[in-house]
Amino acid sequence: MSSREEHILELLIGPQHPASGHMRLVAEVDGDVVVSLKPDIGYVHRTVEKLAETKNYIQIVPLVERPPLADTANHNLGYVLAVERLLGIEAPPRAQWLRTLLAEMNRIHSHLYGLGIHGIMLGSSTAFMWTFGDREIMIEMAQRLTGARLTYSYMIPGGVRRDLPPGFAEEMEKALRYLERRLPDYDKIFFSNPVTRARLEGVGVLKKEDAIRLGIVGPNLRASGVPYDIRKVEPYCAYPELDFQVVTREEGDSMARLLVRVGEIKESINMIRQILKKLPDGPILEERYLKMIPPKWKDWMAEKGRIKIPAALVSLKPPKGEAVARVEAARGEVVFYVVSDGSPKPYRLRMVTPSIRNVVLFEHLIRNCRVADIPAIYGSIDYFPPEADR
Amino acid sequence: MMQIIEWLMDLLLSPWVFVPLVYPGLISAFAVLLFIIWLERKIAAKVQMRYGPLYVLKQLGGVIQLVADLLRYLFAEPIIPREADKIPFIFGPILLFASSYLSTVAIPVSYDFYAFRSDISLLVVLGITTLAPAFNLIIGWGSNNKFGLIGGLREGYLITADEIPMFVTALAMAILYGTMDLVKMVEIQVDWAWGILLNPLAAVTFFVLMLFSTSRFPFEIVEADSEIVMGPFTEYSGILYGLTMGASYVKLYVLSLLFAILFLGGWEPVPQFLSGTILGPGLVLFAKALVVMFLQVFMRSVYPRYRIDHALRLAWHILFPLSLVSVFVSFAALTGWWL
Repeated sequence: MSSREEHILELLIGPQHPASGHMRLVAEVDGDVVVSLKPDIGYVHRTVEKLAETKNYIQIVPLVERPPLADTANHNLGYVLAVERLLGIEAPPRAQWLRTLLAEMNRIHSHLYGLGIHGIMLGSSTAFMWTFGDREIMIEMAQRLTGARLTYSYMIPGGVRRDLPPGFAEEMEKALRYLERRLPDYDKIFFSNPVTRARLEGVGVLKKEDAIRLGIVGPNLRASGVPYDIRKVEPYCAYPELDFQVVTREEGDSMARLLVRVGEIKESINMIRQILKKLPDGPILEERYLKMIPPKWKDWMAEKGRIKIPAALVSLKPPKGEAVARVEAARGEVVFYVVSDGSPKPYRLRMVTPSIRNVVLFEHLIRNCRVADIPAIYGSIDYFPPEADR
Repeated sequence: MMQIIEWLMDLLLSPWVFVPLVYPGLISAFAVLLFIIWLERKIAAKVQMRYGPLYVLKQLGGVIQLVADLLRYLFAEPIIPREADKIPFIFGPILLFASSYLSTVAIPVSYDFYAFRSDISLLVVLGITTLAPAFNLIIGWGSNNKFGLIGGLREGYLITADEIPMFVTALAMAILYGTMDLVKMVEIQVDWAWGILLNPLAAVTFFVLMLFSTSRFPFEIVEADSEIVMGPFTEYSGILYGLTMGASYVKLYVLSLLFAILFLGGWEPVPQFLSGTILGPGLVLFAKALVVMFLQVFMRSVYPRYRIDHALRLAWHILFPLSLVSVFVSFAALTGWWL
């Protein structure tokens, strides 16, 4: 037995472990120091890409939003944008703004979710309960807008399913004010807690050049001082007309990643206010499909504020070709690549989620950290196994 | 017949049976265990805007929830892993629990009610409580689980770091009072003032060290569930798990009683309506200990957990020097310079 083997203890963290998520972390520890850590992913692979080849285009909308729990709207948006590019259409302005509204609501929801998981991983059950409780507000508002709590399937090629319900703006303003009141509370109990700071500051530092080299995306990239945000770089929907900052920090440690998310929650609150103020009037479905709806259904639609999905949308047949769309989801950039062979089913769907690009961070950041840093770093990169496994 | 009952009552109420068996010994330790865990969960629930335990005896806010849990533990099958070292695996939790509560025998509950009076009862209490974590190490080793092993080793690091300052802090109070007899300590506090006023530094240090040695937040490092599942107790189930979980709370109870005697004037002052009764002083002491326990378990709602190297650095670099300084504070208080 070599001296290395005598020192090293192989620790299998997960998949049955309180903080491993749906994956196995193969850690090699030397005393309290983690020598290497390899994430073994794939436990929740559900063949989204292959299943997509057997479904109509509109049936794929619910499919792509299943893997990224809490961040469903952004993935939905990415897919729908890709299909629209394939069809050569664009949603009317009001639909674009409503999409942006739900995407930002979902970003707040997803960040609160991530912060809660991070909290419980560090042992702060209060942070967990508070953020998970307050995420309910965004769920409730999304339910009023879309009729569903988590998997909205709100955006369809050509528009959105529902119009803004009456009184939504006032209710939303109340919700946002409540959230703004709560953020200082989180700060007191969790972000500025001396124990949290001791656990996170200087832990898992990701250097700027490493972040770029490894292809990290989203808040994790921005926490290393790279102001890269698809919403600014390649604006889509209503983002060009919204006034918002890209939140960045220079430190690149776990604390910075946490605080970037907090900053993004604040930015999203601002954006939702702007959207509700500037929301343009008009139809919420593309003209081409709106024409296909019979007049009596048009009355129903005007009364209910909903879309009757026309048959042409159900069996969409995009022309032969391919399209790419990328959007800034809560956890980072998500890319959809759709190839059509002219049939009602896509020839190929490629879905690149932010989590699969951020999982490499584990191996990179955890080297020479402590055993207790594994959950601290895990929570800080907001990695979500089902999203990575698809 | 009457004589037998009388004899039995005499035996039961005699201090050397009553103290280890009823108060502050086994039965009240169990009662406190059930109550304090419920209280901890209820406080956390209040802070976190939820109900906490509720449905077992709803009228009183689910106060007997832990009785239900205990029954469940009793009837659950204690699974003993095939690869585990059987004898330490089974006897570890039992000895852990026993050594946690054993030191209650040396705790007096009034001037004339104690199992035995000794010149060094302070040392006896501290000495026996220090014994308990050693069984955590044995449990961690015996359960043949890597998480258990790491948890046991963590316990090993932490006891050396927290028990030494704790002894020194207690020693500071012993120097101040000029005795290690807990009964005499209370007498002296009646003459002078509460220990927390005489030596506040020692009180604060002792309080933090209590959090440390009973693995309360932010020092819940041994059982850190997001890192090492349940530490030394990972492989346990059924009543054996119940014992391991209860042991740290019982230790908290013992140290809270000790804290009340060292710093909070023990069973003095006894209020007017309780004076003269045999239970009065005991109840006062109990109430003070409960307040201390309340503060200790409240930390769960406030703090995340420290990393072990931070905690060790805190213990050796800050708490240990502070405990030494508290010895000098005691000397200063003795010379009258302090007051």
